[in-house]
Formats: sequence, C-alpha cells, structure tokens
Amino acid sequence: MSPAVWAYSENEGVSNEVASAAVEVAEGASAEAVVVEIGALREGARSPGAKLLLKGPASPQVSPEVAAEALARAAKQAAPMAILIGATRNGREAASRLAAKLSVGCLSDGSKLGTDGSTLTAERNVFAGKVVAKLSCPLPAVATVKVGHYARADAAPGETREVDVGPIQPLVRVVGREKKAAGAVDLRSAKVIVSAGRGVKKKEDLPLLEELAKDMHGALGCSRPLSSDLGWLPEEYHIGLTGVTVRPDLYLAVGISGQLQHIAGIKDSKIVAAINTDKDAPIFQASDYGVVGDLYQLVPALRKALAARR
Amino acid sequence: MKIAVCVKHAVDEAELKTDPSGRPVLAGAVSRMSAFDKNAVEEGLRLRAAHQGEVVVFTVGPADSKKTMKEALAMGADRGVLVVADTAAIDTMRTAGLLAAAIRRAGPFDLVLCSEGSSDTYSGQVPPMLGELLGAAFVGYARKFEVSGQLVRVERSLEDSVERVEAPLPLVASVVSEINEPRYPTLIQIMQAGKKPLEELSGDQLLPHGEYREASVVSMSVQQSARKRVLIEGSPDEAAAKLLDALTKEGVLAK
Ligand SMILES: Cc1cc2nc3c(=O)[nH]c(=O)nc-3n(C[C@H](O)[C@H](O)[C@H](O)COP(=O)(O)OP(=O)(O)OC[C@H]3O[C@@H](n4cnc5c(N)ncnc54)[C@H](O)[C@@H]3O)c2cc1C
Ligand SMILES: Nc1ncnc2c1ncn2[C@@H]1O[C@H](COP(=O)(O)O)[C@@H](O)[C@H]1O
Repeated sequence: MSPAVWAYSENEGVSNEVASAAVEVAEGASAEAVVVEIGALREGARSPGAKLLLKGPASPQVSPEVAAEALARAAKQAAPMAILIGATRNGREAASRLAAKLSVGCLSDGSKLGTDGSTLTAERNVFAGKVVAKLSCPLPAVATVKVGHYARADAAPGETREVDVGPIQPLVRVVGREKKAAGAVDLRSAKVIVSAGRGVKKKEDLPLLEELAKDMHGALGCSRPLSSDLGWLPEEYHIGLTGVTVRPDLYLAVGISGQLQHIAGIKDSKIVAAINTDKDAPIFQASDYGVVGDLYQLVPALRKALAARR
Repeated sequence: MKIAVCVKHAVDEAELKTDPSGRPVLAGAVSRMSAFDKNAVEEGLRLRAAHQGEVVVFTVGPADSKKTMKEALAMGADRGVLVVADTAAIDTMRTAGLLAAAIRRAGPFDLVLCSEGSSDTYSGQVPPMLGELLGAAFVGYARKFEVSGQLVRVERSLEDSVERVEAPLPLVASVVSEINEPRYPTLIQIMQAGKKPLEELSGDQLLPHGEYREASVVSMSVQQSARKRVLIEGSPDEAAAKLLDALTKEGVLAK
C-alpha cells in the first residue's frame, strides 16, 4: 500500500475543502495528500497537495458514474490508503460506487477525519443530528467528507502527475442540465441569514423576509418544505440535514418550527434567534433569543426599528 | 414491469431515548418506515399502474421490521422479502450486499427504487452501491421518471441544478421526496396487508461475512445544545427593539 490519501470532488470549491481534509489525514500517517482531477486540470484550483490527473474522460465535467470508474481504475494501480470525496449529491454517488467497485468500506459525511495507519476514523451526525457517532473503517477505505466543515486553503498547486485510465463508456447518459436559481446564494459564507419556514403563508410574502435579510446585510435561506415540497425557492436555499450546513454570526429563523433535521444545519451558528407564534415550538429550545409572535407583525417592526437606528 | 422497492425500518429520532451516560438507547428504540421510503413505494405503485407488473418490497433489518413491510404492503405492494440482520451493527456495504443478494434471488427486476437517504443515518450510500453490485445502471436523486420501452428518462434534482439523463433498464434509482405525495392506506388495505406474502431470510445465511473489512461505529453520544433560550416579550415594536438590542450587544448585527 503506497502511503497516499486522495481527495476528489466534482465541485471545485468542495474539492479544495476535501484537499484540506486529505492533508490532515495524511499527516497522521506520514502519507502524501493527492488531489485527483479527472479529464482535465481545473483552472485556478489553488488547493494543497500534489495533483494526479486521470486522463481518459474528455472533460472535467464527468458524471459520478464516470468519476467512480476512473478513480477505481487508478486506485487499483496506485493503491492509495484512503480516498476522500466531498459529500455533495453527486459525490455521495461517486464514493459509494467506488467503494463497491473496490470492495472496501465507506464512511459517510465525515468530519474530524483521521488515521492511525491501519484504520480511517471520522465523526458524523446521525439520527437527524441528535447523536454524534465515532466511526472507524479498516484501510484501504473510502469516505465522503461533510461539505462546509473543512476550511478552504489557498495554496500553490503542487507537482502534477498524469495517468491514463482509458476511455469509459457510462450506462447513464446526461442529456441536459438547467440551473435552478437565478443569482447564486452563498449561504455558507453569509454572516447573517434570515430563514423562512412554513409560517410564511404564501410565496408572495417571501420578499418581506428578503427585504429584512437585505436590511441586515444578510442572505435569505429556508426550511426544506419551502424548497422541496412547495418549490418557492431553489434547493440550494434549504438549510439542514438534507440541505446546506451554515455557520453565520446570526441565524434568524422566521416561522420555522425547529425540527431536528433543520437544526442539524444551523448548529455552528454563533447566535440563533427565532420568531414563532407557538411558544412551545422546539425552535425556542434551540435558540439564544426567541420572540413569540406573528412574523407578519414582527418582521415589519424589525425593519422599522433597523431603519430608525441607521 | 417488475419493480423492487427498498424500504428501511428506521429508528425514529424524535423518540430516541438517552441513557444516563449520554448514549442513545438503540435496543428496542421506536422505529418506523424511513420517511422518504414512502415516496419510493408510492413511485413504484404509480409505475405499476402505468406499466403493469409487480411491486416487491425489500428490507434488511430486525424481525420488528415486519411493521414497516406491512405498511408498504398496505400501501399496495404485492409482496415482501425481509432479510433479518442487525441494521445497527452492519455498514452500508453489507446492507447493500444483502439487498443485492435478496433482489437477485427474487428477480430479475426491471427497476429497483430506493429513496435519497434513510431518515436515521442519511448516508445515501446504499442505493448507488446496490446499483454497482447488481451490475445495473444507477440514477440518484430522481424527481421524475418517464419509461418508454427499455429506456428511462429521469430528471435528477441536484443542489443547484436539474439534470436530465437517459438510462437503460434494468435500473436502480433513488428518489427525492418532491417526486410525489405518498398515499395513506385505508383500514381495509391495512387489514388485507397481513394476508400478503412476506418471506423471511437470514442475513448471515444469505451472504457470508468476510468478503471485505466492514466499517463500524466505535461510539455514539447525544449532542447537547447550549443555547441561551432567552424569551423576549412585548408588543411587536417593543419586542423588535429588545431583540435588536440583544443582537447588537452580541455583536452579530452586520454594520
Ligand atoms: C429525512 C428527512 C430530512 C429532512 N431534512 C430537512 C432539512 O434539511 N431541512 C429542513 O428544514 N427540514 C428537513 N426535514 C423536514 C423537517 O422534519 C420538518 O418537517 C421541516 O423542517 C419543517 O419546516 P418548517 O419548520 O418550515 O414547517 P412547520 O414544521 O410546519 O413549522 C411552521 C412553524 O411556523 C409557525 N408559524 C405559523 N404561522 C406563523 C406566523 N404567522 N408567524 C410566526 N410563526 C408562525 C408555526 O408555529 C410552526 O412552528 C427533513 C425531514 C426528513 C424526514
Ligand atoms: N436496511 C435497509 N433495508 C432496506 N432498504 C434500505 C436499507 N438501508 C438503506 N436502504 C435503502 O437505501 C436508501 C438510502 O439509505 P442510506 O444509504 O442508509 O441513506 C433508503 O432510503 C432505502 O431505500
């Protein structure tokens, strides 16, 4: 087993985070961190670690099916001790397929990844974030890395090696892709987030919260039902277990009941505040400051008070 | 069209108890059908209605999982196969291995449906592993299927985009919750579900251990929330002013 820890993500920003994770894991085993690129090197990818370019697929826009096959072919030759992949939706698929192809175990959504040279260890949230589990998997192993947990490094790219994995014929053909959102939100780096829940009665009321977010120099987020069930906002706005994990200075939950799956995404916020008509709503147990009241009265009152203080 | 649906009997996180040392009590924990697996069953039933055939549900879990299987049968599935194993003690690769073995044994199937993630562990790993192990095409996070002949057109819901793909049958797929609204079984359906065939297999006999080295859980602890929990009262204007004062003091209001 050659002492290398590989990092891969189809998403450039996430790839940088996974590279940071790989550097940490590699340090624990005096191994080398290697960032894998597939098809072609991405411009301006300033992540730590040496680079390994897998040639064969024509472009870096590869499907998880192709990524998994390319990684499996290369791993069978080079035998890295661990392969870390960013836990995006496509990343989860690539990692799981890869583990099945290599017949090795696969840790999921790991943070605090490490190794003692014979096993890969990680922490992850289970039961909707109620419980933290410490996980272990014998090496060689695959793991997905929790998105937003590791800092993005700005490092001069290391030396690049290349290996040809040959052509890959996928069974699944991608025929089109449409962006869901106009104008991307970056909830992960927002300092203030105003988040809308089902307490908002109709889509036409969302601008009310959007304006409050603007007044606070923050971004608008939402609970899962608003994006997944009602389709009022794109998927990338939804915060929680199945959505984005955020860590703002201020998280203001408006009309959100505070189910575990939502709280799972806001645990690292510095301050959580909530507005809810129901004084027994679980969100108040997970908040620093809670206001029991109607958002349709409180949001305008907050905007007025903010304007008066400027 | 022969359709397999994988449903998990998942621990209900809301009812999960903690022991005095802060560990979750998994033995005898209240469990029910993993939330999004209802969407997978629903989609199987809709595809059966459109293309004829059969819907068979598969579960890897303790004997208690029969509750979840009966719920799927009450929704309308034709029969079930339960692979008895201690789900808390096996990893995703073994779960997928057991499902693959059971599905092969009862198959062949044209379509195997899962959901995007189980509500207790939400790894999203079992479905793609299953695709690989069955040697079938795999499509994850499906929000719409259109089957024409041997070709399936699928819309995938990704974080920031919708992707359209084409895949051949046999296909393994995972669905997102927005794909449909799961039906509620009627009382009569619930009573009739008990009469539908439910086969039980032993996981240890179905698939030997030791084909690869399994991942394991070393320890678990319940997370404590350390929020201040200050409740602010007063008229909307008073409450708004008090909240802004508090947030200013915390230094979290951007200038
Ligand atoms: C496997 C799984 C994963 C999930 N992942 C996520 C996830 O990632 N993110 C997520 O958010 N959810 C997730 N969910 C769903 C989650 O369980 C909850 O159903 C969801 O968070 C509830 O959204 P909500 O609080 O907006 O709506 P509700 O629970 O309906 O709450 C609405 C709240 O608004 C309050 N309200 C009503 N009117 C007003 C008013 N005028 N002013 C003020 N307050 C008002 C009500 O008192 C209530 O508390 C997941 C569920 C499952 C099963
Ligand atoms: N023990 C199990 N029995 C049956 N199906 C399962 C099991 N575990 C996972 N699945 C299927 O795989 C999906 C994703 O689960 P997971 O990989 O655990 O997030 C679930 O929604 C089910 O469809």
